[in-house]
Amino acid sequence: MSTTHPPADAGAPGALPGSRTSITTVPALALHAVTRVFGTHTALDSVDLEVAPGEVHCILGENGAGKSTLCNIVFGALPPTSGEVCLAGEPFAPSSPSDALAHGVAMVHQHFSLVPTLTVEENLLLGRGRARLRPDRRGLVVRLAEIEETLGLHVDPRARVGTLSVGARQRVEIVKALLDRPRLLLLDEPTGVLGPDEIDGLLATCRRVAAAGTAVVLITHKLAEVMRVGDRATVLRAGRVVGTGPLAREHGGGRSVPAPSGPTGSEPSWRDEELLEAGDLVGLMVGRDVSSLDPLLAASVGVTRTRAAGAAPAHVARRTAVPDDTTPPVLAVHGLVVETPDGARRVDGVDLEVRPGEIVGIAGVEGNGQSELVAALSGALRPAAGTVRLDGQDVTRARPARRTALGLGVVPEDRHHEAVVAGLSVTTNLLLARLHRFRRFGLLDRRAMRAAAAELARRFDVRAASLDAPVSALSGGNQQKAVLARELSLEPLRCVVAAQPTRGLDLGAVDDVVAHLRATADAGVGVLVVSSELSELLVLCDHVHVAYRGALSAPVPTDAPDARERVAHLMTGAAA
Amino acid sequence: MTAPLSSPTAATTGPGPSARPGSRSAPPRPPGPAARPARGATGDRLRSLAPVLVPLAAVLGALAISTVLAVLAGATPAEAAAALWEGMVGTPYAIGSSVNVAAVLLLVATGFLVAHRAGLVNVGGEGQICLGAVGATAVGTMLPASVPAVLTLPLVLLVAALCGAAWGSIAAGLAVRRGVSEVITTLLLNFVGAAVLVLAVHEEALLRQPVTSSETLPQSAPLVEAAHLPLLGVPDSPATVAVVLALAAAAVASLVLRRTATGIRLAAVGQSRPAALRLGVPVDRLRFSALTTAGAGAGLAGGVLVASAPHVLDDGLSSGYGFSGLVVGLLARGSFTAAVGIATALGFLVSGGINLQLAAGVPASITQITESLIIIGVAGTAIWSVRRSRTRRRAAPRTALGSTATARTEVSS
Repeated sequence: MSTTHPPADAGAPGALPGSRTSITTVPALALHAVTRVFGTHTALDSVDLEVAPGEVHCILGENGAGKSTLCNIVFGALPPTSGEVCLAGEPFAPSSPSDALAHGVAMVHQHFSLVPTLTVEENLLLGRGRARLRPDRRGLVVRLAEIEETLGLHVDPRARVGTLSVGARQRVEIVKALLDRPRLLLLDEPTGVLGPDEIDGLLATCRRVAAAGTAVVLITHKLAEVMRVGDRATVLRAGRVVGTGPLAREHGGGRSVPAPSGPTGSEPSWRDEELLEAGDLVGLMVGRDVSSLDPLLAASVGVTRTRAAGAAPAHVARRTAVPDDTTPPVLAVHGLVVETPDGARRVDGVDLEVRPGEIVGIAGVEGNGQSELVAALSGALRPAAGTVRLDGQDVTRARPARRTALGLGVVPEDRHHEAVVAGLSVTTNLLLARLHRFRRFGLLDRRAMRAAAAELARRFDVRAASLDAPVSALSGGNQQKAVLARELSLEPLRCVVAAQPTRGLDLGAVDDVVAHLRATADAGVGVLVVSSELSELLVLCDHVHVAYRGALSAPVPTDAPDARERVAHLMTGAAA
Repeated sequence: MTAPLSSPTAATTGPGPSARPGSRSAPPRPPGPAARPARGATGDRLRSLAPVLVPLAAVLGALAISTVLAVLAGATPAEAAAALWEGMVGTPYAIGSSVNVAAVLLLVATGFLVAHRAGLVNVGGEGQICLGAVGATAVGTMLPASVPAVLTLPLVLLVAALCGAAWGSIAAGLAVRRGVSEVITTLLLNFVGAAVLVLAVHEEALLRQPVTSSETLPQSAPLVEAAHLPLLGVPDSPATVAVVLALAAAAVASLVLRRTATGIRLAAVGQSRPAALRLGVPVDRLRFSALTTAGAGAGLAGGVLVASAPHVLDDGLSSGYGFSGLVVGLLARGSFTAAVGIATALGFLVSGGINLQLAAGVPASITQITESLIIIGVAGTAIWSVRRSRTRRRAAPRTALGSTATARTEVSS
């Protein structure tokens, strides 16, 4: 492995007697007035940031706040428009990710970059060992043992990546990033695809890596993780730093791994700064007072800390009339099986019922068949077996247009590819499914279309500079509101299937989406919500199924006091 | 070539005098920043002209290279230029034949644009022209005399369009049913289409004129009088009503694409098939009809070709019109107005090239080289200017963009 060692050996555990003294003086990473402009959009606006060695620095912000841009600049994938990046005090302008790697900066991307058909060992050896003909397998074994000893990260080098669980794959990614003893480890939204237990493991790893002297930058929009693992946090909003500072230690024992000396060594310098609490962070992220948010939602993200588990108060506050079991279901799925072309069962015998006025949730780590289930319900995929009944009518093999005519609204998971036609105008997108109503002498009555679109936009609070502008010019939240406007204004509307309806939205927009779905259910429409955000499901739904390996668990009522624990437990694949 | 050369000089001399007062009034300030606004103003004016100047430079450059080639082929530049000019606009006859070529190109391009709106690229214009021409000839030579003369021409053109559409539907069906790339299938069907045409004009049992001697050419008998496209009536001009037909087709296609539900659904299919499918748009049907329509456009062009003088079908009928029409469609980038302009320009160039060969003895392939150079030049500069505007926007000072960025966030929040 000696060939792959970067010059930056200072970050290696046990090899830094000299660098220990410099921790408080020289930050591992410093950004000075870094600006990045894309066209007319300023993604990063004069951002200053300092990350000390041995600390876990969380960068928070809603989608589009500039977190990923910042990551890409430090990792060499994008050059800054202006400003300076310093690595351990030296000016640092990586020309490419490989250049950044050579300087001791490693990054774990949100989406894995592993080859599933290769073994872990082969994946780890990929792209290295250019100095010799044969890859350095012995060196790798030594280094893996080292990593396991110091960081407790175990990977099986002989396992084929395709057979590993998501959490194990991410471990491989992290090990891959750590092989070269980086000075700085960037983690971009690492918890998005993980279950609760795997998230715990990841956060513990973060602490250990930081304890070994590496600076860890954790990019996320999940507050709970930040409060558990972070030493400091910087909040970005619309490309600007709106707040930074050390985090209040919410629960002293919350640090999953006691850090020997790394992070605590530099703590004294923070004493005079104000500590940030979870509530402060939400306020900074959203840019408005927390009290203006839906109280249930605010509670679910841990801002007010009124309800740690369950959603009993929410239920009482929300539902006026919960349908009883005798009401015929508006959406009934029986024994549904969806197979991939090569015969793998992605949805394996799903039974599901949604009654009018009821909100049913499907929780689960992504990739457990939820996408395929929604695709089968919306008519994009043809199931191999089973039936789907909408209001008593068999629509198992019906075209999307017929389902729509029968009153099925679908909010697709992939907004950019499935929900909207990004290049067409907002008006067109809102009315695409009902263009036939605007025909006049064979041509479209554009004035009537504009009026109808304006009315929809007003009702659903879609904010656009112009309804004739392409939908891609809208923010994610407004795009999603436009999709909701289109789907929830169907006539008739009997049932709504919403897949990941809040993904990538800021809290304000999440609030709107939740309110719309709730209002729809109150109007007697059956609502099925598929989401990986457990907190939202617990707040929103009457009961929650958990998807695991293509099958659904029995429903868990969200008003049960231990609902959160039961659902989280089911997400790991255990029986209830 | 002179226009772009003069622009940098204007830019460099421009700021000189205007920068002086600024630096004088504020002596401690270095002259550099003070000079910048002035240069920006001049530069902006030049930049606003760039979309016109840059392609113009590309065209002029292509013409210059072609002149060199013409000289190498043995003509003096003056001779070559004169012959080209003569062939393009020199006589009413030249103008008329240029317009006829433009009409054919526009028909192919119109079909191409319809398919392109649905995200399909029709490379099969050549084969569809051949099939359309074969169909038109079959009807035009074998029509029983009992059919009224008024109906003959419409029938000929209708059959031409139907044959082209049928040829396009092979690729369309493969694309919709089996997911085979229409770029590949339409391209390969060109060769089959050309072979069908050759077979038809070589076989007496098919369309070849009765062989009376060993000198009988492998071509069809002439179409009946009633199947000839009427002339526009301009004296000495061979221009036919084909140009009216082509303009009408382009106008109708443009109206349908922009103003009808079908047009908007086609655009939705072209931009996002999953979203269109989700919204109940009949994706497969629209894709099939769009590519079939492209075939009909090219087939109609084939029918127009045989229904124009000399009213016979021979194996050299479509000398690359299918591909030139594709180029018109690509360069027009979705705009029918642009398609009309580009088809006209290319039509004149093609017809000028024929005269270049006749009058100056320069191989007509030089005009094909010119045509290709112009296309490469225009397309290349288009890409270049798009890239340049992107980098310029990135490099622009932040303060200038700050206001628009905040305006955006206000709107989006």
